Amino acid sequence: MRKDAMRETMTTGRAAARLAMWAFLGFFLLVSLLPLAWLLVNSLKTNLELEAAPFALPARPSLANYATALATADLPRLFANSVLVAACAVALNLAVASLASFALARESFRGREALHTALTAGVLVPLIAFMVPYFTLMTRAGLYDKLAALVLVYAAINIPVSVFLVSSFMRTVPKELEEAAIIDGCGFAGRFWKVVLPLSRSGLVTAGTFCFIYAWNEFLMAMLLTSSLSARTIQLGIRFFTSQFVTDYTGMFAAIVLSIAPTVLAYAFLHDKIVAGLTAGAVKG
Amino acid sequence: MRRHGNRNLGLIALFLAPALLLFAAFFLYPLGFTLVTSLMRWKGGGGMSPNGLANYAKLLGDSSFRLAMRNNAIWALASGFVQVPLAALVAMILARGPRGWRLLRTIYFLPNVISTVALAMVWVTLYNPQYGAFKALLGLVGLPARHWLGDPSTALAAVILQTVVYIGYYMIILLAAALSIPRELYEAAQIDGASTLVQELRITLPMLRGSLATCVTLAMAYGMRHFESTFLMTGGGPAYSTSTMGIALYLKMDALRYGEASAAGMILILLGTVLVAALRRALGRGDPLAEAAQ
Repeated sequence: MRKDAMRETMTTGRAAARLAMWAFLGFFLLVSLLPLAWLLVNSLKTNLELEAAPFALPARPSLANYATALATADLPRLFANSVLVAACAVALNLAVASLASFALARESFRGREALHTALTAGVLVPLIAFMVPYFTLMTRAGLYDKLAALVLVYAAINIPVSVFLVSSFMRTVPKELEEAAIIDGCGFAGRFWKVVLPLSRSGLVTAGTFCFIYAWNEFLMAMLLTSSLSARTIQLGIRFFTSQFVTDYTGMFAAIVLSIAPTVLAYAFLHDKIVAGLTAGAVKG
Repeated sequence: MRRHGNRNLGLIALFLAPALLLFAAFFLYPLGFTLVTSLMRWKGGGGMSPNGLANYAKLLGDSSFRLAMRNNAIWALASGFVQVPLAALVAMILARGPRGWRLLRTIYFLPNVISTVALAMVWVTLYNPQYGAFKALLGLVGLPARHWLGDPSTALAAVILQTVVYIGYYMIILLAAALSIPRELYEAAQIDGASTLVQELRITLPMLRGSLATCVTLAMAYGMRHFESTFLMTGGGPAYSTSTMGIALYLKMDALRYGEASAAGMILILLGTVLVAALRRALGRGDPLAEAAQ
């Protein structure tokens, strides 16, 4: 009898714990999806519907807001600028970081460890403290208000992360493969290009994804280093060039949905790489 | 190995040169530049003249900058001791492998890939006192809406509250660490009759110590350099109530007080460095350097 009662309190206790656990997980699920859902649902509504019932689904979902957004906000131009900046920044960053990573991961020379530490320690530097020097440097180099300034800044800022990720991948390439390549007549550059680089593809994809997301989303430097439509990115567009949306919130939501689509899509396809990249160093902790 | 006299030294230098050049231009030169100009009277365009520590004295004597430093401290504490514990709790639950945990992990991280600009505008509309979601939510229970972002007494809390969407970042790190704990430890505890709660407290938490230290250090360092979402949501207002050192720096630069802006940058760097060093000392293990590189 007493045993039964005990078992009953234990199972109710366990059920309550399970309920609390799912409520907790559900809360964060809601929090993580709420901003996206809010944007998406309201971008399909009219402004009247938004004001009357912000949470309700649209009576008749309409893509009219997207047409408005594309027509009024110079959106295609800003989008193209962002694509160009992000693509060039990723290419430059991966080229530079993979060359350096090869030297750091596959060769032994004096000062190698110190160099590796110095390069990766760059992540600890609070870059917002460098608004004045970045602005001055770019102005003096004649790159102010040019897309090239953003390409350089984004590629450079991501060097610490990329060197860390790519060099740790390159370290795992078996030495024998390189030795075999040397016997086949491969030189220094051949070992890099034909052996180590192809085998580090996974690390390159991870580093490239991080760099792409950073370059696409970056706001402060883009605001600081550009001023005209020809050099501004989509983030600035959403922030400043959407003043015509001042009363048209649903049109603005449509523009924002378009602006976040590339990174969300990249994440949808490459989330495994991102998770792997984030945890590359964590498991030893 | 061939520790000395690597005959490829020339090629190695060639391979390293581009990265080192960019690193020097965008990390080392700016550091020296900021230090030097923080000691100068400089209005941007024209010449500079030595100004001793006057820029620092001016900033530290300015009540709005002191408010910004206080806000950074609040950001650092909220990030390290609210965000990270919440992330740890989520990670510990997911590590037990409830149904759909992989999908949940993926979704929880999602806000971290969405631009701050987009999310800030979402939050501004959610907080809007006329048609925002919070007005509607509170209306359901009969509470009035407030101008949360426009009221100095609620603005800082409102801006900090939205960072709850970013816990997925720390959760991913902590979950990976939790999953690497040997399962045998839990099996043994189970046989000894330890409850789930006891297992979490006696096994998981101690084993996560290093990763927790890393996350707290990272979170507090990010709190010290906080800029973007506040700048986008309130611009540091109303009445500097949400300002941070980064925003103060931006405003100084905007007012062409480049010397003072550089001094603000140096204070930001120094405080951040001291904080990271102190935390690494206090929390011991964990290697924020290596892990921050992700």
